[in-house]
Amino acid sequence: MHRSIASILAVLLVAAMLVTGCAGGGTAKEGLKIGLVTDVGRVNDRTFNQSAWEGVQDAAAELGVEAKYIETKAATDYLDNIRQFAEEDYDVIVTVGYALGEATLEMAAEYPETMFIGVDQFQAETVANVAGLVFREDQAGYLAGVLAASLTQTDTIGGVFGTDLIPAVVAFREGYELGAKSVKPDINIISAYHPGEIAQAFTDPEWGAATAAQAIDGGADVIFAAGGQTGNGALEETATHEGFYCIGVDTDQWDTLPGAHPCLVASAVKTVRKGVYELIMSVADGTFEGGQVYGEAGLSDFHDFADKLPEELKTKLAEIAQGLVDGSLSTGYGQ
Amino acid sequence: MAPVETTARRASAGVLRRRWITAGLTLLLLAIVILVDRTSLGDGPLGILFGIGVLRFTLRAAVPLIFGALSGILCERSGIINIGIEGMMLAGAFGAFAVKSHTGQLPLPLSLALSTLSACAMGSAMGYLHALLSIRFRMNQIISGTAIIVLATGLSTYLFDPDWLSRGKFSDIAIPVLARIPVIGEVLFTNGLLTYLALAMAIALHFLLFRSRWGLRTRAIGEHPRAADTMGVNVNRWRYINTTIGGAVAALGGAFLVLEAVGQFKESMTAGRGFISLAAMIFGNWSPLGALGASTLFGYTQALQNQLLLSGITRVPRFFISMLPYVTTIVVLASVVGRTRAPAAEGEVYETE
Repeated sequence: MHRSIASILAVLLVAAMLVTGCAGGGTAKEGLKIGLVTDVGRVNDRTFNQSAWEGVQDAAAELGVEAKYIETKAATDYLDNIRQFAEEDYDVIVTVGYALGEATLEMAAEYPETMFIGVDQFQAETVANVAGLVFREDQAGYLAGVLAASLTQTDTIGGVFGTDLIPAVVAFREGYELGAKSVKPDINIISAYHPGEIAQAFTDPEWGAATAAQAIDGGADVIFAAGGQTGNGALEETATHEGFYCIGVDTDQWDTLPGAHPCLVASAVKTVRKGVYELIMSVADGTFEGGQVYGEAGLSDFHDFADKLPEELKTKLAEIAQGLVDGSLSTGYGQ
Repeated sequence: MAPVETTARRASAGVLRRRWITAGLTLLLLAIVILVDRTSLGDGPLGILFGIGVLRFTLRAAVPLIFGALSGILCERSGIINIGIEGMMLAGAFGAFAVKSHTGQLPLPLSLALSTLSACAMGSAMGYLHALLSIRFRMNQIISGTAIIVLATGLSTYLFDPDWLSRGKFSDIAIPVLARIPVIGEVLFTNGLLTYLALAMAIALHFLLFRSRWGLRTRAIGEHPRAADTMGVNVNRWRYINTTIGGAVAALGGAFLVLEAVGQFKESMTAGRGFISLAAMIFGNWSPLGALGASTLFGYTQALQNQLLLSGITRVPRFFISMLPYVTTIVVLASVVGRTRAPAAEGEVYETE
């Protein structure tokens, strides 16, 4: 009797360990084989991984092929996960996130016939079969900063950020501060990076929420949050305080984070979905080129806040966005 | 008998002096805090140390630690080492969220109550499993606790669906009159239900543990189970009961994160809070009020760290500021080692002869 309970428990424990690693998606048909490896997290994380996967699905639907993904459970699995696809002769492998950059280059050298798309992976040198899809986060952040500085009544704005170990997050923050100062040079900006390491920085919603509350206690009335689940915690916290604004990041969070609707005036977006889609299509029609590819970055729609924002502010934001794109205006970041 | 009496009196004089010092320090702190808030003193560095944002963050960060540490005390005082607090907390968080996100159509208070109950049920299940493994199957309690963490992490990750959505959470309730005290009212008496519960539970458990029949039995089976058994206390039955309740208490920490603080669940969202509660329990010398104090201190170091980050001090590299809570933990634990004493029979399987 005891023994049987013990063995049932043992089986349960082993099962619990096994369920921490599994792949999804359908079986691949003839034609282009597309694989996607997520950064640590789930493919339906409502931010980054999800946008990239949607881009893959768009392309797969258009080409009439099926795609597969592997969810990475730990940073030590990057190489193995990419190798799984490479060994099965996948034609395109999308790796999502800055952290997978090294592993992607290593596998690209080993499998020169496979095309790699590295989202958020800056390419120091051009490798023929790797396209790094990167974004000018500083420009999206700059626009968020202009918006925040124009909205604040207290001349104090806040920011809750993932980690300074990821260049994209640093660019968002620096751009935000530069943008805010371009409107009000003496503005008080209270912002912080998560104090932990990469593995925690994007998955600690309670830290994000508590920090947003702390910034609000410190007088901030607009909060910009850029940091995955950590940032989502900050947005949803801000939404529970009446009369405050918040700005989301990466995707249009109006669609992904209903809890933030009361404060979410806009999101500083990177069009990951579109960028991934276009790169996969370029593989399909044979125009794929390695190296750096810039995707679009800017502000999302204002949704319910569209009527509440003054027309001149909206015009101004559109002008700045145009200036940043055509190069007549610079954020001043990285110079 | 004379020497015993002298030692006892000296000890009580020491306790008395310690209480006076604690009371004095508390009053001094209160005075500083109110001055910082009300006068221009708060504009300088004192504002960073004692500003209202810091104090509110402190309490918020302390609540899960308090629940976790109380859970540890319940188990360890009765002789079961509980290293699985992190897992019980996570299971509680998931249990709360699973019910919360599926009872959105019910009135909010009812949905919150059901979710809290669900958290407790999940936690109790984890606690009972821990007791079962350590008592009936005589498993090493450290390993059993680790298994609890792995089980909770694996199951919650596997079952969690990011499309589940929870709306509404415990909102702040201002306690009449008390909430109007400057600063103190805003920090201590304007909180959600689970925060009040954490504070009340620490005080109540302290009283129960040292003043009630149940407390005497619990301490007896943790210190000297043979003696307790001789006196007719059913050692293993009480260990089962206390560990199961302990699981439920740790789960309240998880429920706090989901139902009062964040409002949503996320894989591994407890982020090490269960382990810090273990440190708080040891630092508090296995006493509930001690654990309350220790949790507050750990909460405060996190709050201070954040305030320093937010205030944009750039002369010190961020990484040194990030170390603050951990350095404090190490220093504090190193300095109290030898002064704290774990329950004597902790981790030992008790068998009747």
